[in-house]
Amino acid sequence: MNYILNVTTFILKGSIITFELYFATALFSVILGVLGALGKISGFKWLKTILGFYTWVFRGTPLLLQLFFAYYGLPVIGITLKPFTAAVLTFILNYGAYLTEIFRAGIESIDKGQYEAARVLGMNYRQTMFRIIIPQTVKRVLPPTSNEAINLVKDSALVAAIGMGDLLRAAKQIVTRDFNITPFIIAAIFYLVISSVIVKVFNKLEEKYSVYE
Amino acid sequence: MKMIEIEKMNKSFGELKVLNNINLEVNQGEVISIIGPSGSGKSTLLRCLIGLEQPDEGSIKIEGIPVKTSKEVYRKMGMVFQSFNLFPHKTVLGNIIEAPLVVNKAEREKTIELAEELLAKVGLLDKKDTYPSQLSGGQKQRVAIARALAMQPDIMLFDEPTSSLDPELVGEVLNVIRDLARDRITMLVVTHEMGFAREVSDRVVFMDQGKIIADTTPDRIFKIPEHKRIKSFLEKIL
Repeated sequence: MNYILNVTTFILKGSIITFELYFATALFSVILGVLGALGKISGFKWLKTILGFYTWVFRGTPLLLQLFFAYYGLPVIGITLKPFTAAVLTFILNYGAYLTEIFRAGIESIDKGQYEAARVLGMNYRQTMFRIIIPQTVKRVLPPTSNEAINLVKDSALVAAIGMGDLLRAAKQIVTRDFNITPFIIAAIFYLVISSVIVKVFNKLEEKYSVYE
Repeated sequence: MKMIEIEKMNKSFGELKVLNNINLEVNQGEVISIIGPSGSGKSTLLRCLIGLEQPDEGSIKIEGIPVKTSKEVYRKMGMVFQSFNLFPHKTVLGNIIEAPLVVNKAEREKTIELAEELLAKVGLLDKKDTYPSQLSGGQKQRVAIARALAMQPDIMLFDEPTSSLDPELVGEVLNVIRDLARDRITMLVVTHEMGFAREVSDRVVFMDQGKIIADTTPDRIFKIPEHKRIKSFLEKIL
């Protein structure tokens, strides 16, 4: 029992990194996704081309490769990042790319009559987007965004590959040391608990948005 | 006073000429019905007037001001769509107060007061806190009318306001529009409701293949349709 408690404490310490990475990524990738989606639906051709290239690269290559590139690759051209910085930047860019596409599809699914109604009422583009279109988009993108939020919990384990002491790496260290698989089971329970909380949060949000339609 | 002056307006979608040399003048307080077969350019005419489409050629003046010199003049008009286009994420009251608050930066209390007045006028005050999805088509369209009126336009444009309604719901919407006609708001109504057009309009405009074929009183157009196109259209529809 004491052993399990010790192991849990050790893994809990590792999970701090996981949480930091999780919240930083969640916050900034959502912002990046909204901006990316607005850019993609804007009339600026060059912006659309740049964003198209961005989502193509980040959705089309493995996250692990991107992580290696940021941590081991960039020093070659003189940019050396701390592991956490490299991880956070990579995750934000990677999840930002997926969210850009999810939000873009969400915005484009809103009926064009909504834009016309706002327009004839005298609303400008910014008012139309932020008061009419995006609030309706939020409801539609909640389910796919919730999938990404759960993926992010699991993907965060990849940072162990660049030597960061996250939740999974902490567990692995004890497994190697003690030749006992209990830490893995404890780690699995950790991941399940985190995912379940996220699912709960999204269910609550979906419930909140179900008052209309 | 001339509320609308359209001169030599043309509009094409690719090869298709949807508006062909349109000339139209509307005086203050006039109610004009625009009738004609589908695809004759009726809706495009309204959409060009309020800036949802840009005409290729011609000039539009609203209350004497050319729309090319000031986008603000579009605000003098309100529009009601065939498909309602209410904001689904806002309550009935929210739909109505949104534009006055956001666009005109109007005072909230006064706007709510005005919105409730308008809702009473269209007979839906008891629905102010419900969401559009819980309303019938006729109720939705009445809210849409109240929403447009909340911006206190001088001119109202109706684009087939009853075309997507079940027959038994058409009457309640037409009654609201009829009341507005009595208030002498300048109105352009694209409609297939011939009885309504005949009863409330000062003038009836008949369009076919992008042209205005006739622009005359309801009596003349319904009783003695001179043009054979109008005659065959009316025979089909009545």
